[in-house]
Amino acid sequence: MQGDPTLTLNVTTITEESRRMAESIKPGSAKWDVIVVGSGAAGGMAAHELTTAGIKVLLLEAGRMIDTRAEYRTMEWPYNSMRRNRLPPGERPIAVAEYNFLDRPYAATPDLAKSDKVTSYAGNTFTRNWVVNEKEHPTTGTPYAGVRARVLGGRTNFWGRGALRYGPLQFKAASLDGYDVDWPISYEDVKPYYDKVDRLLGCSGTNEGLVQVPDGVFQRPSKLNCVEVAFKRSIEKMGRTLIPGRAGVTTDGVLHNKYRMPCRGRGRCGRGCNLQSSFHSPTALIYPARDTGNLTVRPYSVVSEVIVDPATRRAIGVRVIDANTREVMDFTARVVVLGAGTLESTRILLNSRSRDYPNGVGNSSGLLGCYLSEHIMGIRGSGYMPQRIGTEPTLDDGRPVAPYIPRFQNVTDKHPDFIRGYHFQGGGGCTEYPGMAHDTPGYGKAFKSSVRKHYPAIISFGGFGEVLPVKDNRVTLDPQVKDAWGIPVLRFDYRFGENELKMAKDMGDTIEEMLTKAGAEDIKIGRDPLPPGWSVHEIGTARMGEDPRTSVTDRFCRLHDVKNVYLADAAPFVSGGTQNTTWTILAMAWRTMDYLKERMKTGDV
Amino acid sequence: MSKSTALPASKPVSGITRRAALRALGTGAGTVALLPWLSEQGLLAFGRIQEAKVATAPKVLSASQFATLEALVEAIIPADERSPGAKEARVADYIDLLLSESDDAVALQWMGGLAALDEAAVTRFRAPFARLDATQVDALLAEMSANELTPQSPLDEFFVMTKHAAVQGYYTSEIGIHRELRYQGNKFLNEFVGCETEDGKTCSHCGQKAEK
Repeated sequence: MQGDPTLTLNVTTITEESRRMAESIKPGSAKWDVIVVGSGAAGGMAAHELTTAGIKVLLLEAGRMIDTRAEYRTMEWPYNSMRRNRLPPGERPIAVAEYNFLDRPYAATPDLAKSDKVTSYAGNTFTRNWVVNEKEHPTTGTPYAGVRARVLGGRTNFWGRGALRYGPLQFKAASLDGYDVDWPISYEDVKPYYDKVDRLLGCSGTNEGLVQVPDGVFQRPSKLNCVEVAFKRSIEKMGRTLIPGRAGVTTDGVLHNKYRMPCRGRGRCGRGCNLQSSFHSPTALIYPARDTGNLTVRPYSVVSEVIVDPATRRAIGVRVIDANTREVMDFTARVVVLGAGTLESTRILLNSRSRDYPNGVGNSSGLLGCYLSEHIMGIRGSGYMPQRIGTEPTLDDGRPVAPYIPRFQNVTDKHPDFIRGYHFQGGGGCTEYPGMAHDTPGYGKAFKSSVRKHYPAIISFGGFGEVLPVKDNRVTLDPQVKDAWGIPVLRFDYRFGENELKMAKDMGDTIEEMLTKAGAEDIKIGRDPLPPGWSVHEIGTARMGEDPRTSVTDRFCRLHDVKNVYLADAAPFVSGGTQNTTWTILAMAWRTMDYLKERMKTGDV
Repeated sequence: MSKSTALPASKPVSGITRRAALRALGTGAGTVALLPWLSEQGLLAFGRIQEAKVATAPKVLSASQFATLEALVEAIIPADERSPGAKEARVADYIDLLLSESDDAVALQWMGGLAALDEAAVTRFRAPFARLDATQVDALLAEMSANELTPQSPLDEFFVMTKHAAVQGYYTSEIGIHRELRYQGNKFLNEFVGCETEDGKTCSHCGQKAEK
């Protein structure tokens, strides 16, 4: 009998275990030094670094625990479920176009209201038990395609694995082009932590000596397949390059982690890797942290605010709403680390309102929520490389990420139309599903044979461009709309600007140019950006800086206003370059925790 | 009117007329991707069909509508010397099952499309679509697919809708993935090989030579 693992998958056991765990942990049931909010890349790294240093940590996760074996359905074939990767009745992801024409909150619009569960675009048969229901978690304001997950490990359970370092071009961007401000720290400050992250978690890649995306401590890299080699050779003549993708995946194995195994090239990482070769916060960070005996994980713990004692101007803890029982309880500790994800951490701070902090905690500058940035994407190009048209299929996708074309604009030259830059990610060859069949014209034997002939030859790339940090791109608390737990939701006021749109145009032009030079056939260029938020690379909203009047946190991601509250996610980031964000979150969280450990040692907190 | 264009009497979409179905098809802009979701029961039923290779028992479509749909998807993705086509991959069952749990409007569009197709077949060749010979099928499909990128008529729309569904159903089937595409991935590797030039050889797949 062909069942459907998406439906037959039994999460009752893990759900009940999560409830029991939550019920067993109450304020005062133990004494903790630090409260960490969130269990993804940020919270996971914070918990790992603190507990391995002997510090007692209470980790609060808004969702349930996860079964990292059963729930990662890595090798499932689409025909194992006759739904063929569609969601079951009553569940529905928001489609790309809908972001642009639906009123918000999206899930409240008539088209979507009839579904029981409406997820962001990232909702699919593999992630459906992890991503949030937009009905319970609405957001308002301008279109924004954000993805949130409430489960142990958060979005790291299905992240894209792109593990890129920010370099000098990011940390000192303002010095190079005069726009906005530099980070208060430099690449040299963070480099040692990138190295540590590479060693602890494993990163696959090649050393290339490129300033725009610095080298790391790499494990065995991915190889390029035939169409990618052909493309690379062609664009190298234009002074550009294509390098193997850098992946937050251990290909050689990692020491000191009994939960993870080296990559075996199955190419299914985005569903969760059940060998745990891909970095997923639960097995890579949280289980090892738990094994120290210093970690308490409380699932189903929705943090609504940070509680600050106005007399001492110190945080005394956080307010938690139990996601099941709705019981409200205050947990206390010496230090609070927010790692709930850039936007959620900022929301918690904005919601920490009191007589003494009418605009939220950490917001004396009025800048909390401002300078939201991410990456503009969606501009893409594809074609067929003649070297592989009509050849028999080969195994082309047995690796953790596709190749990478590093940023080439505004590196050594100066583009007349825009500042900053973009990179492309993509590649080609045979994949399980031939999406190109939908674009192949005709019918009958000619159609079928055309799909077959072109299937190994497809190559496609999509651009990721820096969105300039702008004060007016911001989130605030919605004055009316609340989530299922009564917490005000975020209202977005976020748009792409002139620089992004000019950059997007250039992306379309350059990918077309490269495909043409490479001799690709039947070139298709998509010039429309995806909706804002699609990258899920959100940064900013609590930017770091030396001056408390123009920034929210200091150079160690500590609130200027409240000296025992730290941010472990990307909220303090000043600007985001073109690089995927996770690896920098991990490195920065480690750096912040090292600083915190020092402060705790000296008795400062 | 041919018998085959009759709508089923007692199906989820009750009380609709052929005219209503045809009208629904004509207003189908933007609904190409709107295939509905499958319930657990639907899924199990389909699983049984697949496994036992039992006779088709459509849930929404009448026997004649089903025959039309099956002939159409097989015409779009036919059996050839390499692999079976959409019929053996049970693509029509897949679509019928999805339709069984779709909104009425979506089911109406499909029924309208099938009715319109049969009407065109009868008008032109005096037989429903499922009974046309290969030349006749080809003549109709050549017309329906001529405006694939910018569909003009209801039949043009119906072709695009059916083609996307057929592609989805066929290339996610065991036949589509393994026998037609001969997809090699999703297995345990010691190391991903890639292009053989990466190992300093002339590649036997693409003919490119190693550099230097």
